[in-house]
Amino acid sequence: MKLLIAVFGALYLAMPSFAAAAENGEEKFNPASEWTLHEWVPIHLGPIDLSINKAVAYLLLGAVVSCLIGILFMRVPRGRGPNRRQALGETIYEVAQVQVAEQGLPTKAIGRWFPYVATLMIFIWVVNMLGFIPLPLSDEKVEIAGLEVPTLALFAATSTLSVTLALALMTFVFTHVEGIRANGPVQYFKSWIPDVPKAMYPLIIPLEILGQFMRLISLSVRLYANMLAGHMLILTFLGLIFIIGNVVLAAIAVPAAAAFYLFEVLIVVSVQAYIFAALSAIYIGSAIEPEH
Amino acid sequence: MLSSFLFLAETTGDVADAGKAIALALGIGLGALGAGVGIGNIFGSMIQAVARQPELRGELQGIQWLGFALTEAVVFYGLIGGLLAYVLV
Repeated sequence: MKLLIAVFGALYLAMPSFAAAAENGEEKFNPASEWTLHEWVPIHLGPIDLSINKAVAYLLLGAVVSCLIGILFMRVPRGRGPNRRQALGETIYEVAQVQVAEQGLPTKAIGRWFPYVATLMIFIWVVNMLGFIPLPLSDEKVEIAGLEVPTLALFAATSTLSVTLALALMTFVFTHVEGIRANGPVQYFKSWIPDVPKAMYPLIIPLEILGQFMRLISLSVRLYANMLAGHMLILTFLGLIFIIGNVVLAAIAVPAAAAFYLFEVLIVVSVQAYIFAALSAIYIGSAIEPEH
Repeated sequence: MLSSFLFLAETTGDVADAGKAIALALGIGLGALGAGVGIGNIFGSMIQAVARQPELRGELQGIQWLGFALTEAVVFYGLIGGLLAYVLV
């Protein structure tokens, strides 16, 4: 208790001097400015903007790392005794097989759709994880030994809505394509309508169609908002030091930011990757084998 | 007390901004309240279930994380809605 009083007392005493210093500073720190994407390599095809920016760079890096994980852990020379590398690869495979694919997909469709859901799981996990490793991929530059080097920054490609929406759109398209192919168009769209009296149809059918599009929104917004909120929390806690302009605040802000960082890295990153893949498997599975 | 705060806001001319900030924080706070109850419920039920039938832990874990993520997402819809309202209005 005495310690607390001492800390807050010191905070209070230190506040005015630093606050005055902050007002003279050139610009105010704003955590949201991390999400403005500047064009690095402008590519414009008519009205379509395909420029390479921070998020695209992170996505490309994520794709390379996902491929490396696949090659390193899954392509193990046969004939030798199992080593740790192989054990790790088999653990990843087992999670994708037992927890994701078998949970949602019917047995006959696992062969076709297991690669898709397993790729989704690994790719989203890698991109999420890259977002919590400080990488020199940011718009601000710092001069080290005469060289302009980008500063280290935390940014996840999955904390931009376009990335998650594209991933969700893939699942959305695959769901309906597979549903139509497995059941035929008439049978498939009939399976959307639940067992209700015919008088309820005008009420139920629009709701069911809306529900299909709500899946798209919920799938993309869940991943996007999770990663956005995680990064925002960490940045805001660290940014408080600069916004209020008080170094003593670091005694509270840094441990709080570190706690949120650990929570995100240990739980949220993996759970979100798992959820996205598992829900994709469930949606595709329910389109192939409707309940009635 | 309240009038003094209002007076402060009026003098700096940020009444609308202050109102938006309060609404955003309140909206997310209330959203988090509901999701907090829901997530607590899920993990509480999971502990009970595993205490009764420890051998089902593996099977239940998948469902538990699914339920956790579905519940937790509700806060984020609130957050996105709040941020949209904050930026657009």
